[in-house]
Amino acid sequence: MKRKLFFSILFFFTVASATIAQDKLKIKFGNVTAEDFKPTVYPVDSNATVVIIADIGSTEIIGNTKGSFSLLFKNYRRAHILNKNGYDIGNVEIRLYTNGESEEELDNLKAVTYNLENGKVVQTKLEIKTAVFKDKVNKNLVIKKFTFPNIKEGSIIEYEYKIKSDFIFNLQPWDFQGEYPRLWSEYNFAMPGFYNYVTLSQGYHPYTIKTSTTSRGNFNMADNRGSGATERANFSANVVDYRWAMKDIPALKEESYTSTLRNHISRIEFQLASIGEPFTPRQVMSTWKMVAKELLDDEDFGVQLSRDNDWLNDAMSLALLGATTNLSKAKKIYEWVRDNFTCTNYNSKYLAQPLKNVLKNKNGNVAEINLLLTAMLRKANIQAHPVLLSTRSHGYTHSVYPLMDRYNYVICRTEIEGKEFYLDAAETGMGFGKLGYKCYNGYARIISPGAEEIDLNASLLKETKSTTVFVINDEKGNSIGSIQQTPGYFESFRLRGLAKEKGKEQVFTEFKKALGEDIKLSNTRIDSLGKYDEPLAIAFDIDFAGDKEDIIYFNPMLGEGFKENPFKSAERYYPVEMPYTIDETYNLQMEIPKGYVVDELPRGAVVKFNEQEDATFEYRLSQSGGNISFRSRLVIKKAYFLPEEYEVLREFFALVVKKQGEQIVFKKKATP
Amino acid sequence: MIKKGLTILMALCVCLSLLAGDGEYAVAKIPAALLKNANVVKRFGETRYEVGSYTKMKVYEKIVITILNENGDGFAGLYKYYDKFRSIKSIEGKIYDAAGKEIKSLKTKDVEDRSAVSEISLMEDSRVKIHHFYHRIYPYTVEYEVVVEFATTFMFPAWFPQSAEKYAVEKSNIVISVPEGFTFRYKTFNYTGEPLVSPTNEGKSYTWQINNLSAILKEYAAPEWPHLTTCIYFSPDKFELGGYKGAMDSWNALGQFQLQLNQGRDKLPEVIKQKVHQLTDGLTEPKEKIKILYEYLQKNTRYISVQLGIGGLQPFDAAYVTAKAYGDCKALSNYMFALLKEADIKSCYTQIKSGEGEYFFLTDFPSDQFNHIILCVPLANDTVWLECTSQTLPAGYLSGFTGNRPALAVDENGGHLIHTPRYGIKENIQHRNINATLSEDGTLFVKAATTYGGLQQDNIHGLINNLSKDKVKEYLHEQLDFATYDITRFTYAENKTGTPTINESLDIAVTNYATITGKRLFIVPNVMTRTGRKLTADEERKYDIVFTSDYQDVDSVEITIPPGFAPESMPQAVAISNKFGKYDCSVKLSGNKLFYYRSIERYAGQFPAKEYGDLVKFYEAMYKADRSKVVLVKQETTKGF
Repeated sequence: MKRKLFFSILFFFTVASATIAQDKLKIKFGNVTAEDFKPTVYPVDSNATVVIIADIGSTEIIGNTKGSFSLLFKNYRRAHILNKNGYDIGNVEIRLYTNGESEEELDNLKAVTYNLENGKVVQTKLEIKTAVFKDKVNKNLVIKKFTFPNIKEGSIIEYEYKIKSDFIFNLQPWDFQGEYPRLWSEYNFAMPGFYNYVTLSQGYHPYTIKTSTTSRGNFNMADNRGSGATERANFSANVVDYRWAMKDIPALKEESYTSTLRNHISRIEFQLASIGEPFTPRQVMSTWKMVAKELLDDEDFGVQLSRDNDWLNDAMSLALLGATTNLSKAKKIYEWVRDNFTCTNYNSKYLAQPLKNVLKNKNGNVAEINLLLTAMLRKANIQAHPVLLSTRSHGYTHSVYPLMDRYNYVICRTEIEGKEFYLDAAETGMGFGKLGYKCYNGYARIISPGAEEIDLNASLLKETKSTTVFVINDEKGNSIGSIQQTPGYFESFRLRGLAKEKGKEQVFTEFKKALGEDIKLSNTRIDSLGKYDEPLAIAFDIDFAGDKEDIIYFNPMLGEGFKENPFKSAERYYPVEMPYTIDETYNLQMEIPKGYVVDELPRGAVVKFNEQEDATFEYRLSQSGGNISFRSRLVIKKAYFLPEEYEVLREFFALVVKKQGEQIVFKKKATP
Repeated sequence: MIKKGLTILMALCVCLSLLAGDGEYAVAKIPAALLKNANVVKRFGETRYEVGSYTKMKVYEKIVITILNENGDGFAGLYKYYDKFRSIKSIEGKIYDAAGKEIKSLKTKDVEDRSAVSEISLMEDSRVKIHHFYHRIYPYTVEYEVVVEFATTFMFPAWFPQSAEKYAVEKSNIVISVPEGFTFRYKTFNYTGEPLVSPTNEGKSYTWQINNLSAILKEYAAPEWPHLTTCIYFSPDKFELGGYKGAMDSWNALGQFQLQLNQGRDKLPEVIKQKVHQLTDGLTEPKEKIKILYEYLQKNTRYISVQLGIGGLQPFDAAYVTAKAYGDCKALSNYMFALLKEADIKSCYTQIKSGEGEYFFLTDFPSDQFNHIILCVPLANDTVWLECTSQTLPAGYLSGFTGNRPALAVDENGGHLIHTPRYGIKENIQHRNINATLSEDGTLFVKAATTYGGLQQDNIHGLINNLSKDKVKEYLHEQLDFATYDITRFTYAENKTGTPTINESLDIAVTNYATITGKRLFIVPNVMTRTGRKLTADEERKYDIVFTSDYQDVDSVEITIPPGFAPESMPQAVAISNKFGKYDCSVKLSGNKLFYYRSIERYAGQFPAKEYGDLVKFYEAMYKADRSKVVLVKQETTKGF
């Protein structure tokens, strides 16, 4: 009873906020009239190449012949192709998964193209037998593919199909929003009393319909897998019919600094939470503690972590090489795994092979590699736990519910002498205790008996860069100088990759390019190239080789700073998600070139994004005697900006670009 | 026995392995000269084509390759494609450490089998077997042996012992053994000497071998790969494919084979025949008829590729295209051929090697060098070319995808080579007129009218015909080289002829385009056309310089600036003319108007490597001139009395 209460509360919001029940959409398969071809432009998006007239899905749960239940998903779609650029919608792929035991089956596929010819609607049917292709991608995935026949500008296409799926845990989510605008998008789910699913919806578009009604449904199961007679069971149970619909849903466009559009599109998804009467009631998903325990006992995740794992002994001696303290042991193990294994799939939360094989084959998916790392740390008696997370491009996780679909990545957390470290041995070139910014995407979960939540927030990540420049006059009166730079950690990570792939010189080629023709580089140095835990230290000397013109225009940024505004669009409809916060400092001390005086100095400026100073920009310049001091500092304190902050953010960056582009003007002293 | 004892000893005592005699593939045995610039060294390669009959050829391949660093990892794996005509009989593999000691061998279950349907196709029967050892301790060596059986002799892959840059080869050979009476031709590049011919039980075998090819570094605008490395092309005189017999000992014979495949596939349903007459009977000019029918094709069909079995070469028939309103290059070209035929216009189904810059072709070596089909319509004193997969190209224009290269035209007598049109400096143009106004705060309001022609309009043609307006704007945002700006208006108009042009009109507001300080104004008068290329001249140039196309850009810019400024620093006019091209730019201030003119012509041609330095200087000068700033100073206003 308690369980049911829990879920009825969850759904209460759905039901309570349901607006006036509306009639069913008057669209039926095959019912296309000349009238339907009339619109050439739809108000929902005047630039649209295709408008989806209706996209309707439903899922019900039915008994199967394997002694259990299957999901029956139905999809109906009608689209109006307005011009040639929309022909791609005519190519349809339906993905069907199998894992040996459970499978998905496609049924009742029907597809028709309609064209208006001389005022008459002409149908062309897809030949299911000859024109639907089966592409066996790999052992777990088959794609059924077809293309609509007889597509022209102005065609209306329509298709429907059913998928019967044994994967009762993967109830089809529903995207109300997508690449093309939709006039109507609807999802129906008939949830039987004995299977409780949690629903979650997201997005900015309002529901037109949100209702639920309860009725009684009959269920028939059979089991004909055994050798004996088929066993059958029939019973009835309460069924709640949920219905969600939206209308006139525009497409979302991807802008700069977007983790993924998945975070923002209107969407609803489901997770099986509990099983109830007439079956033995049990929670399938209730708390993270339970999920963590299951994962830790799972063959495909953590069961190996609590074992002795003597097969690791040889590897341990290779990896440890005489390390003594726990910290040095942990570092050695981390580096050994990082440097000896190849990650073949960065999108994985389960083992596809036993850890023993991972060790032997020297490759694995990200879960395999970091679980092996965890096992090895434990083998060395160092406390370590796997951490489940979702990378930026995969979208946000849910802060409360253990929705496994939302996770796609595994890292390792270790605690040594009271200090915690997050490790990702799948990322080549990553330092001990460092994670790629792709991991900083909000809530992650430690998979341990306590199952604590951790917040890997991009706002906690700071990319600090500092540059110091000295320019003096040498004995011949030429301007020479030196530049020292410590790039941020992620910039260092990128430059390390570049140096490895194309050679160290390539790093300086980038500097050369930024500095321009007239400045010569020499005495180039990079420190910490091999010390992955630290940012790089870059230094070189410069020589202003140019001719001594009467007037010298000198940009004190020397190629550093922003040259273009990262925010191109004038408007923004969803938040800005930066990968990290920023702190960039640039200092220059220079002697005024011999024989010159300052004719013009750019004005100093201090710009604040808002009162909280979430972003600030300082640009200070002063002259004292024969010297100029210059400082530019850009601080962005948060990584997440709301759409209403966008305009100011764009202006802020426009100002940064402008100031950083300004020049000092030196003039030759008049000869006395 | 002794050897075995030694192996055990080595296993016990790893540290002795260096002393105990390295394996055959020890890295230490690589000649030092081969390590220079190399990411990988092919230690040994052997390819054997064993022709049994016209429908059976066994291809045996062995490759042993040392991966020196992680940039070479891409060459360590095995990717073997197969389909209806090629089946993989066996795959074996081993991996060795730096000392040449075997680490492990490949297990069949580790070989992944995947669909290999290409991006452009809805369906193909091609699949791929993939294997990788995923080793991370460098250097290491992998060895693969693969046996593939071909059910045809149509495909006789060329031999490229050195398949990429930064790839050295120690030893590699190819052996082709053929039965008595089976003849083939070959064409070598950078190979001296003749093959070793020896008798076999069934016929003869031919062996080519090379040693010590050092790694090649690719250079900007270098000649095509076959000119840089050793390679051999092969072509059987006769072959069989999917039940069809053919020959390719002459272009004519290869055309005959295609003719055979196309036989009877041009029958149009009655309704389409009527449509053809309805569209064309009233017209007299053949060119008019072609244009109308081509537009009919474009409007009523689209490109969908389905490649199954011999479908890679044989077109789906005209009835298929009628029913589905789609097809691939073969089906659509064949359909267009049938439409023209119904209108009494003769055309040729034409095989071509397509792709931007894909000009390499062996005209004197009849063989299957094609990957695409177009249609050639010979008229009394002109030829019209049709790209039947395009929904948007004007009739008669081929674009950079198939222009300027040989092609095999097929008619009732067989095949013959012809050359597709070349688009030159008169066609490949970008002519731009800018009228801009600079406001007091440095914002530049730009009105730019640009005409793109020939190959220079290909990209924009694709853009405006394939993307929604929003996407075009997005693309413009990526392309334009300004810091902060808004595109307030953009329009395109196409002039669809055999040498098409596109007129673009852009209104852009560029924030802070000019810097205006207390008394100075800094502005780059070249607003939109700046060469982005900078060449480095650090290394000595090895290969000739090849430019395959020529073009001309002209910019005329007029910028109205706030009143009261006088020049402080004006860039000098630049005029350069050399064998690579011609560049001019100049700027002047007249009243409150800046006038800027820029023109560049770049010529196609092959230039000796020693002239590379001049090319670098040419680009450097343009790069600098394109970015030079005008500096203006505010005039002190004299106080009147």
